[in-house]
Amino acid sequence: MSNIYLQDISRGIIKENPVFRLVLGMCPTLAITALFRNGLGMGLSAAAVLICSNVVISSLRRFIPDRVRIPCYIVVIATFVTIIDMILKAFQPALYEALGVFIPLIVVNCIILGRAEAFAGKKPVLRSLFDGIGIGIGFTLSLVILSAVREIIGSGTILQETPYVAHVFGTAFEPMAVIAQPAGAFIVLGLLLALANVIFKRLNVN
Amino acid sequence: MEKLLSIIFIYILVDNFVLQRFFGICPFLGVSRKMETAMGMSMAVVFVMALATLVTWLFYTHVLVPLRLEYLQIVAFILVIASLVQLVETVLRKISPTLYQGLGIFLPLITTNCAVLAVALLAVQNEFTLVEAVVFGIAASIGFSIALIIMAGIRERLELAKVPGALQGTAVTLITAGILSLAFMGFRGMLSL
Amino acid sequence: MRNILRLSLTLAVVGLVSAALLTVVNNWTAPIIAERQLQDYLRSVREFFPGAEQTRQEELEGALFDLIYDGAGNLLGVIGKNIEYKGYGGPVKYNLAVDKEGKIVGYRIVSHSETPGIGDIITRPEYQGKFTGKGPAEIDGVDTQSGATVSTSAIKGSIKRVTAAAGAAFLGMEEERFDISAVPDGIYQGTGKGLLGDIVVEVTVSGGKIAGITVLEQSETPTFFVNAYPAIPDLIVAEQKLEVDTRTGATGSAEGIVKAVRDALEKALAGGEK
Repeated sequence: MSNIYLQDISRGIIKENPVFRLVLGMCPTLAITALFRNGLGMGLSAAAVLICSNVVISSLRRFIPDRVRIPCYIVVIATFVTIIDMILKAFQPALYEALGVFIPLIVVNCIILGRAEAFAGKKPVLRSLFDGIGIGIGFTLSLVILSAVREIIGSGTILQETPYVAHVFGTAFEPMAVIAQPAGAFIVLGLLLALANVIFKRLNVN
Repeated sequence: MEKLLSIIFIYILVDNFVLQRFFGICPFLGVSRKMETAMGMSMAVVFVMALATLVTWLFYTHVLVPLRLEYLQIVAFILVIASLVQLVETVLRKISPTLYQGLGIFLPLITTNCAVLAVALLAVQNEFTLVEAVVFGIAASIGFSIALIIMAGIRERLELAKVPGALQGTAVTLITAGILSLAFMGFRGMLSL
Repeated sequence: MRNILRLSLTLAVVGLVSAALLTVVNNWTAPIIAERQLQDYLRSVREFFPGAEQTRQEELEGALFDLIYDGAGNLLGVIGKNIEYKGYGGPVKYNLAVDKEGKIVGYRIVSHSETPGIGDIITRPEYQGKFTGKGPAEIDGVDTQSGATVSTSAIKGSIKRVTAAAGAAFLGMEEERFDISAVPDGIYQGTGKGLLGDIVVEVTVSGGKIAGITVLEQSETPTFFVNAYPAIPDLIVAEQKLEVDTRTGATGSAEGIVKAVRDALEKALAGGEK
């Protein structure tokens, strides 16, 4: 694997991390991160859509006239979102219920249309694939970190709604419930963003 | 009537689209820097959301359901919304250049405002009637506008405040939104559908 | 011109490919989703019938009923879904489970708008338990709740009617019918409990048939009572049976009239007052 592909992957995870660097895709980031399982499920679903749409859009880039590219991108993205929606409904009904309307809303996640417009519409298929993987991992990782923090503090558990549920501080722990509420989502993400700012500054990442 | 009133109350205050349901966060963070732009965006959103719920509801009930193509809902809705926004932009430019100058720049942003798609999807999911759906669209967009305008007011003051380096920018905005959301939690449980 | 053609052609092709792809995926997942929803439904059915494995849907009087079978295909009972009637505060919907002997297993309210704290007693397990094991003939024996008379008598009326109808249609139960032809000719008086008090009727029997019914005394709410009288007596005379449809908008009063007529005829059979 040549260097450029590695760069495409790592750029999405750190330098252009969609949540902590570009502050994109905020709706699902805030809405479904009260539980670790939902954050992971959302991250992977969005990543799957992003990778597929990146590849398809990149391979169609010579056939799509410039003037209708945005509607075409939207149709491609919406198609993959519907497929993910159906698959989750069939095979992961509990997760499907938990994510609710935020699955169809992946369509309007600015990250995906943004990558189509900025990258996949111009670059070769293989690079677009790795770009999708990188951004997908970056997005999933951000959701996983945020949801882990919120679940541990807000519910006192980790991996709730899965067979591997664990009570982090024992069952007697009285969790800080507001963190699992909408208000907590804003505050925790704000603080994590500040933390990320400090870390990136130390590491000299621009 | 009773149901319409509860829809209005719920979606403006109790289930505020931005602060409790997290729809339309991107424009909420993006255009809340100045009061003037916040007002413009609010107006455009109210207009488009009312229209979008109306059109998507009619499209779903009278085209998708009779053809048994409900599974094309997501693709169809986003296309309907995108063309609707395009249409509004064109018409507005022709008939009212002054209004276009005020709202025009916000219109393209609205296509990817997830609040618009959310309102269309939820109106169908909640099995609202046509009138209920439109009222729902208007109430949700007013809720969105209230959150946006309050936020703009706060951020204009925040400009003058000393914010620690790491918190500057989006971080402090998010924490402020969190405190606002806490305040809106006071409406929790007052009404439900 | 050629440019516009190319633009719209591209859009159309992209749209068509998308629709085709989604149709394929939908055809693949739809049966899986349906199967899962069936399993979810069976799980809720097993609350009433633990051995449930298969269901078959039937329609009766505009409501849907599921016949419930075990793995070997033996009928376990029947569940009426979203049965609707008019309660005190508005329409009430409930699911009713009846076993293969025509006895009630239980019911669950799906939606209602009865008064919280009063009429919503119909949603409570303590009240619902009173119906368990009862057949249509024994439902009159369930108490109406004072303070919630309308709500409770409305659901009793609905349950009684549905149990009897479902029993007759699906479980091979004979609807227990009063044998009018055995009653000697004459004019008889009888009393039945309406919603607010006793209803006294006079029944004229001639040639083994009910010739006429007049209400002599009643203390029902006038605006409700007009829904039951003279409609219910007319119905009894027309159909020559006591098991008539009492859903009138004044079910309590209607049931009261039927009870009074039955009382009169029973007394007549026993050789009672003329």
